[in-house]
Formats: sequence, C-alpha cells, structure tokens
Amino acid sequence: MNQVTSPSVRLDFTLTPNDIRRRRVNQFMIRAIQITAILSVVPLFTILFVILSKGLPQLNLSFLLNGPLEQPRGIINAIQGSLVITLIAIVAAAPIGIGGGIYLNEYASTRVARIGELFIDIMLGIPSILAGLFTYFALVPILGHSGWTGSIALTILMIPVVMRTTQEVLRLVPTGLREASLALGVPQWKTTIFVTCRTALSGIMTGVVLAISRGLGETAPLLLTSQSSNDISINLGQPMNSMTVVIYQSATSSDPQIVATAWTTALVLFVLALILNVLVRFKTVNNRVF
Amino acid sequence: MSEARSFRRSRLSGELPFRILTLGSVLLAAALLFALIFVILEKSFILWPVEAPLTFLTSSGWFGATDPSGVITAAFGALPMIWGTFITSLIGIAVAAPIGIFTAIYLVELAPKRLAAPLTFLVEIVAAIPSVVIGLWALGELSPRLRDSIEWWVASSLGQFIPWLSEDPQQPSDTSVFRSGIVLAIMITPMVAAVSREVIRSVPQSLREGLVGMGATKWETIRLVILPTARVGLLGAVLLAFGRAIGETIAVRLTIGMNISGVPPTLFQPGSSIAAQIAGAFGEASPIEKGALAGLGLSLFLLTFILSLIVRLLMWRSANRMGART
Repeated sequence: MNQVTSPSVRLDFTLTPNDIRRRRVNQFMIRAIQITAILSVVPLFTILFVILSKGLPQLNLSFLLNGPLEQPRGIINAIQGSLVITLIAIVAAAPIGIGGGIYLNEYASTRVARIGELFIDIMLGIPSILAGLFTYFALVPILGHSGWTGSIALTILMIPVVMRTTQEVLRLVPTGLREASLALGVPQWKTTIFVTCRTALSGIMTGVVLAISRGLGETAPLLLTSQSSNDISINLGQPMNSMTVVIYQSATSSDPQIVATAWTTALVLFVLALILNVLVRFKTVNNRVF
Repeated sequence: MSEARSFRRSRLSGELPFRILTLGSVLLAAALLFALIFVILEKSFILWPVEAPLTFLTSSGWFGATDPSGVITAAFGALPMIWGTFITSLIGIAVAAPIGIFTAIYLVELAPKRLAAPLTFLVEIVAAIPSVVIGLWALGELSPRLRDSIEWWVASSLGQFIPWLSEDPQQPSDTSVFRSGIVLAIMITPMVAAVSREVIRSVPQSLREGLVGMGATKWETIRLVILPTARVGLLGAVLLAFGRAIGETIAVRLTIGMNISGVPPTLFQPGSSIAAQIAGAFGEASPIEKGALAGLGLSLFLLTFILSLIVRLLMWRSANRMGART
C-alpha cells in the first residue's frame, strides 16, 4: 500500500519509475483479464459451429417426423419421449417446488428456513446419476423400465431447482405489499397466493422453465430408468426413447450415418435448450421491475 | 357472537389446508432425499460381506460372479474410479477457476455497460448446453485435437522426465483422463463465472471508491480490495463448481474411456470415474456388481454432500462478512 502516493502532494506530475511500473502492471493485467473473458466464450462458438456444420445437412422434416425404423431414419419417438417425460416430471415437480418455496419463505421460522435451505443445497448437489440409481433400485422392480420411472427420476432433480428459485424471488417481494393486504383483512394464505406469488409470478415461472431445461438435458438418469426404444407410441408404461439417450447411444457408433443422427439430434436439443434459456433471460430482465 | 365466529371461520377456512399443503411439499422433498440415501445405502449392503468398505475404497479390480451353487467370487475396488473422479475434477477446476473468476471480474469491473449484459448471457449459456451434447462434441472434435496438440507436446517434453505425464505406452487412444478434465473445465467455467459475478457484485461500492480515491489503479483496486473482500465467496464458487464436476456423468463417460483395470500410470491414458462407471456398467451388471455400483453411488453422494455443506457454511460466512443476507 505504501507505493500509493497522493498526486496532490506532487505538483509537478512527473511520473516516477514506480508510477510507470504500476501503470504497466495495470495495463498488462487488464489485458490479461480481457483475453480470459474472450477465451471463456470460445467453447460456445466452437460447439455451435461444429454442431451446425455436422448436424444441419441431415436436418429436414422427415428427420423430425419419421420413426427410427423408417426410411429415411427419423427421431420423432425420441422427441416425443423427451417432451412427455419432461412434461410429466415438471407437472409433479412444479407444485411441490413452489409449495415448498412458499412455506420456507412465508411461514417457516428463520431456523427452519435455514435448515430448508441446507436441504435444497444438498438436493441441488446430488449428481443426476444418483437420482437415476435411486429410481432404478426403488421403482424399476415395480414399474419396470418405463416412461414413468424416467419422469420420477427427473422430478427428483427438478424439485430443488423450482424450490430454490421460488424461495429467492418471494424474498424479493417487498414486505409492505403483504402488510397492506393483511391490513385489509385478507387472510394470510390468500395474501400469499394473490399478492405475494402474483407479484413474483414471472420469477417463479423462471424457476419452472429452468427446471424444464434441466430435465430436457439429462441423460444419465434416463439411461437407468426409461432406457430406449424404437416404438413411436406414447405409452408411459413402456421403455421410452429420449433425445439425450439417442445422442449418447449413437455417439460411440462406428457407423457414420448413426453418428450423423447423433449430431442432428444434438442440434435439435441445443436449439430447444437455447430457446428455453432465452425465455428465462427475457423473463428475468422483466422481473427486475418489482 | 356466532356471526363473528362464522366470519372468522370462513375467513380462515383456507389457512390450515394451505399451510398443510405447503409444509407437505417441504416434507415430501425431504422424504425423497432421505429415501434416496436410504435406498442406495441399503442396496450396497449386498457388497460389504464380499468386500469390506475400506478395501472397497482402496483397492482396484472389478470382477464379480455367482456360480450355480451360490458361491460368490468377487473383487471390487473403487480406487481407479475415485482417482479418476478426483484427478479429472482437479484438472477441471484448476483451469476453470482462474478463467471463471477473471471473466467475472471483467464482467463486473471492466466491461463497458453495453457489452456486459450480452457477454454475461454468452458466458452462462454454456452451462445450459446439455452435457451429452458437450460430450458428443468433445468426443468427435475436441478429443483428437487435444491428443495431437497439448498431450503430444507435454508427453514429448515433460513426459520424458515425469512418467506421470508420459505418452500412453499402448497406442494413442480416443479417450484419456486428461481430456475428460479439460471437458469438465469447459463445463464448469460458466458456473464459476456466474457465482463469482454475484459475489464480486456484492462487494460494497464504497470500498472501490476508497481505493480509487487514493490513486490506485484498476488492477490495484481489484487485487487489494475486491479479491480479498470476495475471497470466501469465490472459494464457495470454486467448491460449488468442483462438486458439479465430481458428479458429471455423461460427458466424462464419453471421453474418459472405461479402463477399470487399475489406476492408469499416466494422465494421457483412458481411466474411469465414479459416475461414469455407474452409467456405463449398469446395463449388464450382475446383482453383486449392482451392489458394488450402489457402493460407488454412496461414496459419490458422500463427496457431494460434504461439499454442499462446506459451500453453504462459506456462503453464510461470506454473507455475514459483507453484511447482507444470502
């Protein structure tokens, strides 16, 4: 700290060797930080470029609408499977996550809320493969490898995402709003639903969309639960295909045509993930209003 | 009197059900967590008579069979996978931590306002790419390039003196421990950057102004005030990303190879990791091997559990330091 000299003491403003050194160090470090920041977006563009150049040639309507056994080969069952499994999972996870978030922020005492936070942390930290392992051991003996078990495995991963986001956005709602509503004689539960949650609605939806995005991108739990299938039906009692599992299984194939399927499926999945995340971004920006 | 009571009752009629419903959600989530721990623990019990926990964690080998008379011959050792998990995550975090933190510093302290928002989006969108997509890219594009560049350079220079960095004695393969580490680095950099950004943003503005007022340069402000103040939070960001790297399954599975014969003698050889082993070996596992995989799952859970606890404690401490609630 002693090399920081106040300019007001030195009226001639000549740069001492020390000043020159400090300036050089500063310029060097700022340049280094800038280069690092650029470096961290390089993978995104590389991945984008490779997926587009390898996936786009096969992408056409029949690829999206045909089954895996038809000619030309398509991935309709994987798209269906991914969407259905994720949809069922979020239908189960959203109410549990939102309800839990509401309880932790609106009703729980500080101590309970802290324990709740810790629990959410631990659940968020669970590797997705363990959710698959658990569902496999606990439910596959009963339900078989099926769409249902895939959905349940994803639900376990989605609940903490929704709960964390809900709790955090509810915390941002000004206390004054709740007090105003309570002062009018509105009971607390109605205040919570119609005032607090209403205000934080777009934030809560962000959590739900984030959870959907996480579910769509998961591979490992589905590998152990819903596995894969060539059927085009949406029978949740049967093994079900999903886009991520198709990519995983085709990636290591020696047949270049199947590897090409993997790239095109990756492109479809990537675009879906991108859309969901742009949606989230857009909503969070609007969210800053309150 | 009775009118008042019925008014009270109708007003509050929804209160109890609502509370029960929301509390029920919390309890259900907690029950799921406990069920997960319990089931995986219970399924691993089949393994412990065959392989004591300590030998399981410290030995190598992956073999199990039950002959027709019901005698189990098995040798399961988790050491190669534990080693693989740690070494890939360490490579990942060693690369991702400086890049992520520097990127966060750039986004908060240096970037022009107009550039900061879109750049933040671009950095964080990498975290949203499904790991199987990154794995596919890593397997098809990144892996051969890394093998022919960095791996080859290091192996032919440093590798001459340090056996640990020498070339794969067999033939150069499609997969290696080192490459998995680099893939993990790419996947967790956005996470380090995102959490660090929040931490650096919450450093009080007056601290920056104080140093700039004394004539400090931008870098001196960063080095003398911002990094020391944000230290605990940044450590939390790094550990959080480390936990994510430990649990990453599919991208590692695709790039690490499935070498379970033992701890690979060099970094540039195929290896295995806990999560990758569970995903890869599960399909055709015998009952006893499933027990061994549950044992692996249990050790993975314990690792991430301890990390989550440490991170939460650090975050609480960092919030107290900066005088704000997390």
